[in-house]
Amino acid sequence: MSKASSFIYPFTALVGQEKMKKGLILNAVNPRLGGILIRGEKGTAKSTAVRALASLLPEIEVVEGCPYSCHPDRRDNFCSRCSELFGQGKTIRSVRQVQVIDLPVSATEDRLLGSLDFEYAIKYGRPRFEPGLLAKANRGIIYVDEVNLLDDHLVDALLDAASMGVNTVEREGVSFSHPAEFILVGTMNPEEGELRPQLLDRFGLCVQVEGAADPTERVEIARRREAFDYSPLEFIVQWSAEESCLRERIVAARQLLSQVTISLELLDLVARLSLEAFVSGHRADIIMANAARTIAAWQGRTEVKEADVYEAAELVLPHRLREASPPHPPEQPEPSRKKEEEPSDQEQEDESSREQEMPERLDESSSGAEERPEPESREQQKEQDREKEEGQSSPSPASMEEVIFSIGEPFPVRRISYERDRVLRKGSGRRSRTKTASRTGRYVRSTMERNNNDLAFDATIRAASPYQLRRQREKVAIAIESSDIREKIREKRIGNFLLFVVDASGSMGARQRMVETKGAILSLLLDAYQKRDHIGMIAFKGNAAEVLLPPTNSVERAEKLLAELPTGGKTPLSSGLAKAYEVAIAHLYKDPNIFPLLIIISDGKANMSMGKDRPLAEARRVAEFISREEKIKTLVIDVEPSGFLSFGLARELAGILGARYYKIADLKADTLVEAIRKA
Amino acid sequence: MTKSLPQNNGFMLFCVLSEAKGMVIKMNKFNRIYPFSAIVGQEEMKKGLLLNAINPKLSGVLIRGEKGTAKSTAVRALAALLPDIEVVADCLYGCDPDNITVMCSSCRGRLEAGENLPRKKRKMKVVDLPVSATEDRVVGTLDIEQAIKKGEKHFEPGILAQANRGILYVDEVNLLDDHIVDVLLDSAAMGVNTVEREGVSFSHPANFMLVGTMNPEEGELRPQLLDRFGLCVNITGILDPLQRVEVVRRSVLFEEDPENFARQWEEEEKKLRKQIAAAKELLPAVKIKDDMLFLIAQIAIDMGVDGHRADLVMMKAAKTMAALNGREEVIEEDVRRSVDLALIHRMRRKPFQELSIDHEKLQDVISGFFDKECP
Repeated sequence: MSKASSFIYPFTALVGQEKMKKGLILNAVNPRLGGILIRGEKGTAKSTAVRALASLLPEIEVVEGCPYSCHPDRRDNFCSRCSELFGQGKTIRSVRQVQVIDLPVSATEDRLLGSLDFEYAIKYGRPRFEPGLLAKANRGIIYVDEVNLLDDHLVDALLDAASMGVNTVEREGVSFSHPAEFILVGTMNPEEGELRPQLLDRFGLCVQVEGAADPTERVEIARRREAFDYSPLEFIVQWSAEESCLRERIVAARQLLSQVTISLELLDLVARLSLEAFVSGHRADIIMANAARTIAAWQGRTEVKEADVYEAAELVLPHRLREASPPHPPEQPEPSRKKEEEPSDQEQEDESSREQEMPERLDESSSGAEERPEPESREQQKEQDREKEEGQSSPSPASMEEVIFSIGEPFPVRRISYERDRVLRKGSGRRSRTKTASRTGRYVRSTMERNNNDLAFDATIRAASPYQLRRQREKVAIAIESSDIREKIREKRIGNFLLFVVDASGSMGARQRMVETKGAILSLLLDAYQKRDHIGMIAFKGNAAEVLLPPTNSVERAEKLLAELPTGGKTPLSSGLAKAYEVAIAHLYKDPNIFPLLIIISDGKANMSMGKDRPLAEARRVAEFISREEKIKTLVIDVEPSGFLSFGLARELAGILGARYYKIADLKADTLVEAIRKA
Repeated sequence: MTKSLPQNNGFMLFCVLSEAKGMVIKMNKFNRIYPFSAIVGQEEMKKGLLLNAINPKLSGVLIRGEKGTAKSTAVRALAALLPDIEVVADCLYGCDPDNITVMCSSCRGRLEAGENLPRKKRKMKVVDLPVSATEDRVVGTLDIEQAIKKGEKHFEPGILAQANRGILYVDEVNLLDDHIVDVLLDSAAMGVNTVEREGVSFSHPANFMLVGTMNPEEGELRPQLLDRFGLCVNITGILDPLQRVEVVRRSVLFEEDPENFARQWEEEEKKLRKQIAAAKELLPAVKIKDDMLFLIAQIAIDMGVDGHRADLVMMKAAKTMAALNGREEVIEEDVRRSVDLALIHRMRRKPFQELSIDHEKLQDVISGFFDKECP
């Protein structure tokens, strides 16, 4: 079965994107750089560039006919076929271009790793290994378009092979291993979610691309693309001179590479740069030195210059950057956090005092008639807080009025997901991985267990094939017995149900707290979007809680509601919790396998009850009740600013609920990922 | 589109009934499709579809709108309007016998071996991708029959293979399962479907026009998939009472007697078909001047779009628009009218902002551009 090749846009005809082109060329010159990851917005010639690279790649020597492209001079690394041939003195050398192997996101494990060749097994009654993509990619390049969409089990297999340089297969009666040294090239659009850090580290280089801002450049891009679309052959011919020129330069650089030296001082610089970036491990250092050498060779020099190292660092470090210290573990707040938050409090304070002077800077959505509660001093604010905590005294008149705050800046949120379990689920989304019972989802592997008649034909045939010579066959080429039957195990990610329970009472209006809170909710919503979660929203203020958004997929609606959510009035926390419980239980009835996650955003200062109990006591009782329902998970986001007088009520609430507890600052994503987004 | 209805319905009906039965049956299959030209209003949507019919390189259109706004009707009606395409008669993928650049491996092999490929003409296909489709049906998989009968490994083409050189139509595209979307993105990007699964390794051309409809209330589309649709239109129900009445009247007429209805519109349909054919012929000759290209680039930059696909699509749309209007040169009006279609879903927007275009800003950009050009 052969491949359909289509005509490919020439590499040299790409306009701009110099860094990406450089990264790709460097990899063509020196395969030991370990591949490249290209991150960027859609429509920036990422995939086009990688596919164009294929024709520029150098030639390598191989043993002719070897499915694993063994090197004729590396006897220690021969596959079994080549060693056999070598013993007979029959290895023939041949030369061919380095190949780019496509790994589509829909690939199944058996094709990636290789599996039993059933045609052969049926004919000869003996198992034989059929090489997969990893075999083909040996000494070549594996290209994954949209690499962030690749299924985790394929990523695992890739990582495994990449780290060992060997692919070991033990499945379906075949036991085999073969060399699998390959370069990983991936493209991705970060909008669709991030990569796992472990996979990220496998990419030697990383470049970020974006659209050109220069009109002339844009016009040129459009013009060339149109010319190519109109007549690809003619276009390719037009650029063939440039292409061969570039190819020659790559070959020259390759030959020069072994002579390039790097001085001790510059190696020292490499180490210092890595240290400053707080990269983990030594891979960065090694690749950076290698990249600097390759850059020098590309420039036709035999000695590395300082500028080469800096250029290399730009390609090697961005995806490995970490901030000075690892983030604080969220479960145990440390005193140091207070120090961190202090300045931001101060800033907020400054801002609110500024806004006091300029009332017209109030949020656009709040009409001028509405007045915002604005504490005159911090002292007074605390006074108010204390009053509210006691819960008995009525809140100050200012906070009775409703105000609509704008939404604060969103930020990337940390990963919130459950552990994978063995429950079979249906549904769709991207947050948690699950095995699915319905016949949808990605076919992951096969099993002998019979559950739902979801027959895995390929696996079944492979299982049956070795026995075909002995079995009675009538009119068919293959006789299948029930012991051969394999079923598919499918896996997909399902979204969770996130129910936001938002405190919109007057106390939240104090000191712009609501702005920050809305920012945090928006961030969680963004995250929910990427993971295709179901969401719902409940707000509590005044006398009772209200379901603003019944469970839905539309994150847009949630955002709109959030923007329009007014703040003011008392804090009926218990009512909010009770309502949340109702909605969550109703959703559980509908979809018993999707566990709702209540995200309670409050300072915990209840001052309004449903019954005769004191508000705080009532809230605690409801919380205890919720905590007894095992299927409902909870997460409390405390919005109380830390200062001299923090009541820790939300913390207490979290304790009763058995919930995870975060401050808003804790929600921010791992610094590693953050660093990438900034890069 | 407020055409007056032919008055003598009863008579026409009589004519149809009195004709040979065989004729009616033959027409039946074809006539179930509501005629494109009979769709009331929704000019933007019709324009988007027509442009795609003329220039398939625009790579499809996404129709966003409420329920019951003739979205699906229009897509199916369009297919009936499209000119026939020439294919290799016995090719599973409907390869173009004259274009070796995008052929499947078997056709290419045959051509290179000096074989004369058998040709035939056929209608352009509309292939449905149901939201419940499974991945193996979409990309193709191991041919079970061949495996069991002959013990051989063969590839069984899926929906993407059928859709090659046709229209891949996804109703409610925003409800499509995520892993199916991933697969679509993969093959839509390069026009090639690469299959590495269930023991088969194969690839074949998959150039299709992606047409999707969705109701934004059910959630938005992923940005990456959004970008794969060349054009995008937002449609709403018609507000003009007269037009609404017209919609109902026509739909009743159509349901009562589709054959007759189609007959009444045949003339219009023919005209439209001719217009499409003429524009198709004219398209390669359409020129675009540098200042128009710069205007497009300026709009893309100032309006804040991601990547370069917007520029390309705007240029193609403007050219096609010129061809549709029988001109050989792109004028500002063409660019202006293509902006809405090409940009609306590519605007860099704040999280969860609605898809929309700030027309005032656009106007400023355009007028600012011309002020700069001729001071």
